[in-house]
Amino acid sequence: MAENGEDKLIATVQHIIKTLGSTDSMTEDILKVFSNYDGRLSLDKLHGKRDAAGGGGGGGGGGSSEEQQHVPITSFERTLRTLDRQVTQVINQERLIWSESEAAEGFLEAVDDLIATIKDLEAAPHGNNQPLLDRADDLLQRCMFRLEREFKSLIERPDDAAPAAPSRPTGFDSDESDEYEYDEDIEDARIPIARPVTDYDVVIDALPPGSVSDLHKIARRMVAAGFGRECAETYVVARKGFLEESVARLGLRPRTAEEVKSAPWDELELDIARWIPAFNMVFKILIPSERRLCDRLFDGLLPYGDMAFAGASRPPALQLLSFADAVAAASRTPERLFRVVDMYESARDLLPELETIFSDEYSCALRNEVATVCSAVGSSIKGIFMELENLIRRDPVRVSVPVHGGGLHPITRYVMNYLRAACGSRQTLEEVMEGGEFGPMSVGPVDPDRPTSSLAIHIAWIMDVLQKNLDAKSEVYREPALSCVFLMNNGKYILQKVKDSELGVLLGEEWSKQMNSKVRRWTREYHRVWAKIISVLQINDGGVRPEKLRVFNNYLEENCKTQAEWLIADEQMRLDLRMSIMDSVVPAYRTFLSRLKAISDCRDVYVKFTPEDVEAWIGELFQGTEKR
Amino acid sequence: MPATDYQGSSVPFASLGRSILSIRRDQVHSMDGHDPSTEQELESFQRRVSDLFADLSSSPDQILSLAWIRKLLEGFLVSLEEFRVILFNHRAAVTRPPLDRMVSDFFERAVKALDLCNAVRDGVGQVCQWNKHVEIVVQSLASWCEVDESGAKKTRPFGEGQLRRGKKTLMDLNFLIMDEKESASASHRNRSFGRSKDPHKSSSSSPSHLSSGVHFRSLSWSVSRTWSAARQLQNIAANLNAPRGHDVTATAGLAMPVYTISTVLVFTMWALVAAVPCQDRGLQIHFSIPRNGFVWSPALLSLHEKIVEESKRKDRRNANGLMKEIYQIEKSSHQLLELLDGVEMPMGEEKENQLKNSVQELENVCEILKGGLEPLERQIREVFHRIVRSRTEGLDSLSHGNE
Repeated sequence: MAENGEDKLIATVQHIIKTLGSTDSMTEDILKVFSNYDGRLSLDKLHGKRDAAGGGGGGGGGGSSEEQQHVPITSFERTLRTLDRQVTQVINQERLIWSESEAAEGFLEAVDDLIATIKDLEAAPHGNNQPLLDRADDLLQRCMFRLEREFKSLIERPDDAAPAAPSRPTGFDSDESDEYEYDEDIEDARIPIARPVTDYDVVIDALPPGSVSDLHKIARRMVAAGFGRECAETYVVARKGFLEESVARLGLRPRTAEEVKSAPWDELELDIARWIPAFNMVFKILIPSERRLCDRLFDGLLPYGDMAFAGASRPPALQLLSFADAVAAASRTPERLFRVVDMYESARDLLPELETIFSDEYSCALRNEVATVCSAVGSSIKGIFMELENLIRRDPVRVSVPVHGGGLHPITRYVMNYLRAACGSRQTLEEVMEGGEFGPMSVGPVDPDRPTSSLAIHIAWIMDVLQKNLDAKSEVYREPALSCVFLMNNGKYILQKVKDSELGVLLGEEWSKQMNSKVRRWTREYHRVWAKIISVLQINDGGVRPEKLRVFNNYLEENCKTQAEWLIADEQMRLDLRMSIMDSVVPAYRTFLSRLKAISDCRDVYVKFTPEDVEAWIGELFQGTEKR
Repeated sequence: MPATDYQGSSVPFASLGRSILSIRRDQVHSMDGHDPSTEQELESFQRRVSDLFADLSSSPDQILSLAWIRKLLEGFLVSLEEFRVILFNHRAAVTRPPLDRMVSDFFERAVKALDLCNAVRDGVGQVCQWNKHVEIVVQSLASWCEVDESGAKKTRPFGEGQLRRGKKTLMDLNFLIMDEKESASASHRNRSFGRSKDPHKSSSSSPSHLSSGVHFRSLSWSVSRTWSAARQLQNIAANLNAPRGHDVTATAGLAMPVYTISTVLVFTMWALVAAVPCQDRGLQIHFSIPRNGFVWSPALLSLHEKIVEESKRKDRRNANGLMKEIYQIEKSSHQLLELLDGVEMPMGEEKENQLKNSVQELENVCEILKGGLEPLERQIREVFHRIVRSRTEGLDSLSHGNE
């Protein structure tokens, strides 16, 4: 019978197979040949018979009730065998699979088939395909280990991969290859870090486009096979070297908080100057580039791209931030203000950008970290400002030699120039003064006429502290008139520095008015010394007598000599003051002299100074000439 | 846990901080005498610290667990806040010798703690990294145990591929842990970027776990390679002696809280270094606390002894950190690896149960770490910032004494 004949044929073929096929894969080949040769020798039949004849392979060991399940299981088994053979060969090779793009494509296809087969197996209604599933799964693990290795190598050494095949098979990846448009220029400059960078709107492509698309393909398989976490971890590990090296090239050295605290300022200043561009490089170029790379490699594979990104960015981000933290914790001498403001501004300006880069749940902690460090630096700025106040307060009042001639005190010059410069960062300073844990400073009742921002209040406070310090210093001078000169000089200087600057805006008109009236008051007080001299010439007091002239001469001579050594730094003020002294002294003197001459018995009195002499004397006051 | 749970203690002090500043401006320098409220205040501070250590000692098997460490840090933060209040209340006295010297001495110690905070934080990051591997192990092995679609727990036997995956991840994990041990104990650390400088030279055929081990080398980002946690601890603890009688009287008793907070600081930092991996760990510090001098000293000393004992145990001597969960990870992963090595398919029921138990153990630790490491890290950051803040305030008020 035909049926019989077919049986015989199949039996013969099976015999041949048995004798020829010493290995599973050879058997498979032969089976394939036969099944192509004759329709009757379908693979299913041959397989089925073979298994039934007891030649089953390792995965076949089922119970006795498997008779009806033969058909699907054997089909799965066959696929598995083919895949196993295909894959094992590739897995066992030493060199990179991706060094040859066709092999890579083939391998990926096999993995796809394998994943699909496992899905089918799991969906199959039979309870007993477990052994097959195990085999498939085992094969999948091996593929994944290999893919992981390839993935890592492709990231670490993208040059070892084969150049992208000119004509890609229109397989599963045809849809995605268009998505990537690469800028060749950027690609060439893989690490454009050594050059000074002014424009941070740059993205680095650390990997050539071919590698990116290869890596994406691998990542897709790994995620599909449930190896997404491994894939993300592998990414982190593989990128670590590149990121470390990039940061190392920025010339930052690790510094402990203690080192930062005890470092001399000029050294630290240099470190900060290096840190600011490095910080921008890391947060504006390196990390966004990393984000882009992750977005591409893990396109459509959430959340693994986010995991990979967060893991890779964390170390460089924290390294940069730890220095800022240390600076924020370090000493608060006022000269640090400007550099620390720069640091603060870099971090603050960055925060909005980070909203988008660190937006996912894995990296949002990094954004918070930047914000925390930023506010720590902010409150250290506040601290530095407070320190200025302390510095003024601590400036010793009694020194062995007070400022010569009642001139400008160095602290006035320092504080005023400092505040003027600080006003250049007015916005930032107001920001840190307003914010922070302690809230705005409350400095007693706020004068409603004063600008009321925290910074303004604080500066006004500093001015008060300065004035108190100067008041105390003025008392060191023995002559009250010299104290006045000292206060006038410093007051005038303060007024000049406030005028036409941001300081004036902050302190307000009312403040300047008050300061002006203080200076006028000191000037009035100064004039007392002359009033005393003039009082000698007073006519109604006991009449005009020659002795009075002698007293006057002595006073005048003594005072003019002394006061020539005093100093009025401001030229206009000096001229005005001389003028007003002349205006009060010379007419009184003239009147006295003429009255004196009118008295007959005094006609021969020797007049030592003519009024012109007196004018000349006064004209030489306040030159600050040192005693020889 | 939400981030706020340990910050709770700082809330009432935010407003206090404001008043500290505003009152400071008024230059009120009240001369404080020996009023009864001061006595009460100092006593309550001692009691607070004593409660903290009593609480920490209450369940001996919890010592050095993640939860215990968090409790310790919380306690430290609360104590520090109370100390701040005391300094504020006695700001005039603080500016006078010998108290001024004692207070600035405390802040000097506190600054040294900042670097320890950084190092320990890196260590916590390290443990996070390990835990990610543990998660993968658990994920690959545990998912096999309970595949259920209808809600019913359906157990599938372990598959070979699954086991292999678990084993590989465990080996990676072991390499990470070993690597940390090596780098932590190496006397001369070579922080080298050269390892990756010439990637072409490194072998492409090395198994992934080997190369990953090398790359995970845990050199901290925030401290230099010569930095040593052990030395830093010694610096913090150096010359910390209980105040003598005349110092106590000369400071109206205020020398006591200064000494107390210094000791709490030293102990907290010491316990952190004991618990968490960090560069050049070492626990040799000298605690010269009079056993009966303070209400809290017996509890603190006994905790100290227990931790020292723990560090000397044979199986812990080489540990990366004495944190209970780290130990459990090491133990369970070793155990699991051994089990996996001995597995022959098909697996017997007993073996399978052992395996499941082992995975379960690992999963339990993994969950604890997953929920606790991040809050711990935030807490360490909080300690850092609070130290900075109180030091600034403290130095500020000290400097006002010279007016």
